Amino acid sequence: MDISNYISSGIIELYVMGLCSEDEIKELELLRQQYPELHTAILDYEKELEQQMQKNNTMPSAVTDKRIIDTIDNLKPPVDNNTTALHQPVRFSWYKSVAAAAVVLLAVSSFFNYTLYKKTKKQEEALKTSGSTQNGITLPLADYNILKDPSITPVAMYGVGSHAICRCTMFWDKKTGKLYIMIHHLPQSSASKDYQLWAMVNNELVNIGIINDAIRGRFIEMGNVPPGATAFTVTLEKAGGNTAPTKEETYLTGRI
Amino acid sequence: MQNQNLYTEEGLVEALKNHQNEAYRHLYLHYRGSLYNIITQIIPDTETANDVLQEVLVTIWQNIDKYDAQKGRLYTWLLNLTRNAAINKTRSKNYKNSLKNEDISNYVFNTDEKRAYSQNINQIGLRKEVSRLKEELKIVLELSYFNGFTQEEIAKALNIPLGTVKTRLRNAVIELRKNFV
Repeated sequence: MDISNYISSGIIELYVMGLCSEDEIKELELLRQQYPELHTAILDYEKELEQQMQKNNTMPSAVTDKRIIDTIDNLKPPVDNNTTALHQPVRFSWYKSVAAAAVVLLAVSSFFNYTLYKKTKKQEEALKTSGSTQNGITLPLADYNILKDPSITPVAMYGVGSHAICRCTMFWDKKTGKLYIMIHHLPQSSASKDYQLWAMVNNELVNIGIINDAIRGRFIEMGNVPPGATAFTVTLEKAGGNTAPTKEETYLTGRI
Repeated sequence: MQNQNLYTEEGLVEALKNHQNEAYRHLYLHYRGSLYNIITQIIPDTETANDVLQEVLVTIWQNIDKYDAQKGRLYTWLLNLTRNAAINKTRSKNYKNSLKNEDISNYVFNTDEKRAYSQNINQIGLRKEVSRLKEELKIVLELSYFNGFTQEEIAKALNIPLGTVKTRLRNAVIELRKNFV
């Protein structure tokens, strides 16, 4: 094979740019082991492309930088299953294993029965006390009644852009103008910021008020939603709210 | 800002494989400009591009074990991973929907300014170089590099033989390498 022809055929550039077909990759990786000059030529182009591409910088905004660095700082190493006890060789004889498993199962089962009993008791009591603060497991009776009310309009609120992960559901009682927000996922606002709800009425955004997002796991009540609202949006504003929404800080939107 | 030459390539790879958060921060600060550049050339919408950049960092964290230094430089792996992530995003249902029905924030707020900015971004970097190629070379490279089509798909789409696609692609990257300095 004339390797210099092969090297100058453009195949190296395609390979490094990730544009080769499966067959071309296989062929190139085989040849690479046989011809050191091919290996060197690949490395050369990789360096060259890196230098060229590193000159073309488009910087993300400082807000994006901060968000991504926060994400990076909170990443946890994946769990390595190979080091867990589950994968240790078992040296018991079979009947000992069976006996041991039976004892463990009995203990686990008894424990779960007991905790389940306690939990059920707790939930029963919680349901009786409507409106009292809960630990997030059980919805208070007052909130449960909102969910059940057939005259209420649900509005799914979806995250926007970089906040795509955010989710809320709102339940709007058009008769009373009250609106109940359930936060599924929304970063806790800082002391200097507040989430603010806006309603779209006649193509204009009307301030509904500040959302007390410290309340989690139950409804946040808002009032005075105009009956003509066709959509809602949530923005993050300075503490106490703003007179007009800050478009760059739109977190959630939803239409009726 | 950190000293960008804090790590050798080998040292960085080792720290990344050990999932040291600091190494990922360094990787981000060192490569974000060029990785974000390639994302924005595929996805003009700034917010979606930001999401992809974040997803890329998480993907690197989760898949660093698959990186094999014998097969190529770290940057080559990062660049291809990033380009694939951006192309995959353009193929996702949500992204397609967002193009059809603009979401309420676009509806509510005037985004002309944002769009004009996005178009400027497109005029920087690799895509600009590709746009300077002869039409027949440009189109195969565009479809392949920025749209992620296979050689077979391009042959079908342009109604030309697969062999012609291969030849044009090779000529296109040779030409690109000559011009791109």
